[in-house]
Amino acid sequence: MKNRLPGLVIPLLLLLWWALNTGGGRDTLLPSPVEVFSILAHPFQDQISTGSLVWSMTVSLVRITLGFSLAALIGIPIGLVMGASRHVRKYLSLMIEMARPLSAIALLPLSIILFKSETLSQFLGISYLRYQKHLFNEIQIGMIFILFWGGVFPIILGTIQGVRSVRKLHLEAAQVLGARKTFVFRYVMIPSALPDIFHGLKLGIGRCWMVIIAAEMLPGTNSGIGYLIRYSYQLSRYDIMLACLVIVAIIGAFFSKGLEALGEKSLVLRSRER
Amino acid sequence: MTALSVTGLAKTFREKSGDVHALGPVSFDVPQGSFLCVLGPTGCGKTTLLRTIAGLEVPDSGSVDLMFRADGRQPVVGYVFQQGALFPWMSIHDNVEFPLRARGNIDRITRRMRVGAILEMVGLSDFSSSYPHQLSGGMQQRAALARSLVMQPDILLLDEPFSSLDTRTSQDLQENLRNTWKEAATTVVFVTHNIEEAVYLAGEVVVLGHRPGRIVRRQTIDLTDPRSRLSREFTNYLVSLRRTFKELVEEPE
Repeated sequence: MKNRLPGLVIPLLLLLWWALNTGGGRDTLLPSPVEVFSILAHPFQDQISTGSLVWSMTVSLVRITLGFSLAALIGIPIGLVMGASRHVRKYLSLMIEMARPLSAIALLPLSIILFKSETLSQFLGISYLRYQKHLFNEIQIGMIFILFWGGVFPIILGTIQGVRSVRKLHLEAAQVLGARKTFVFRYVMIPSALPDIFHGLKLGIGRCWMVIIAAEMLPGTNSGIGYLIRYSYQLSRYDIMLACLVIVAIIGAFFSKGLEALGEKSLVLRSRER
Repeated sequence: MTALSVTGLAKTFREKSGDVHALGPVSFDVPQGSFLCVLGPTGCGKTTLLRTIAGLEVPDSGSVDLMFRADGRQPVVGYVFQQGALFPWMSIHDNVEFPLRARGNIDRITRRMRVGAILEMVGLSDFSSSYPHQLSGGMQQRAALARSLVMQPDILLLDEPFSSLDTRTSQDLQENLRNTWKEAATTVVFVTHNIEEAVYLAGEVVVLGHRPGRIVRRQTIDLTDPRSRLSREFTNYLVSLRRTFKELVEEPE
């Protein structure tokens, strides 16, 4: 029989929640699972005049997509170069080790100084959008910057690790088969490093997701799922708040499982070597 | 004509625990189209010798001279590792195509034809889209051999390619290799610690002694094809080389 126990964890937690909620007949602020699910069941309904759950989710997702893509586009090349060249690594590693512990949230004030509250529509010069309800008005450049910051370091470190763990045997094989350096880099080093790059991406998107939710809860923001968590709390709408937490958890898991699945094939091929 | 000429080659590895004098100096010539086996006990520096010839190690002294091709270009050297060293993320077809793509001057159709022909020759046509881990050890080594042969090498270097296989598979591949060598007319240098393998394959055997590796005996193997492991002449060579080997191992260092 297949082990079905892992599938029981979530129902058990729900049961616990329900028991906490109703047990003992005492007053509790915690909304019941039923209340929360009735919020989740109407994803397109406007919630406390901030737009629907889908709208808040979309804003957060677009922000994270932009920030994370930027982190990947810049982090992977930096990691590749740092992994391949000892000189570059020597120059950059101290800088990266200094920058890495600076939490993205700590940089929020700095990003406000640097980018003010400029939005994507202003940045792209499409100012006529300004007075409409448009997605681009909700994407602050500063937010993308801190998302980038949150995601880029795990990606860089994962990529370096991947390039450095390329087997010497494979490099020598490529050498005796007549491959030049650029060819080796493209067809041996990168495929070898792929599982670690994917691992870095997975950690990176997890960090981005944490950063975006926290950043949206800071004053000055007026959209996104993180904002909705804070705002619904202020209005004592704990049912909405919990619904948002459920959404955040599900999307977060979806991100990491998705990237894990993408990286799986390369990992299997690398690890099956005799 | 001499395809490969090794002169006074020596190599010492500098380790933290002290220097290891791995090789030489050794000198020998390999005539074009011949099959040379370098035979020696474990740790005699035979792999180091082969790696130095292939340019994977830089010698401390001495030189390796390869004969230029008839068209005046650099000779192509093929190298087969003890463990296939196939790229696990590429199919067998892509692995074998790798050296042709790496060299970059061969168009796609020619590449596909040459890969197809070579896979046919080593009997792996049906596995061209398989990945290395889906193949048995013997098939992986055949694929590795194909990957070197597809370059049409002037010299083929093999480092104990069959030592991790079972006897039966290993003997099949030996026969396969000897036939391939006769067809392709390349020069082969084959490193092994297996005396029988050396007698079966080689036109000439060079026996390498212990650290530092140096030549203790050169023996021409004069047997008619197809070689039979059971013939009297075969056994004579075997016994004679085994005696040399025994003295080597018992010799005080």
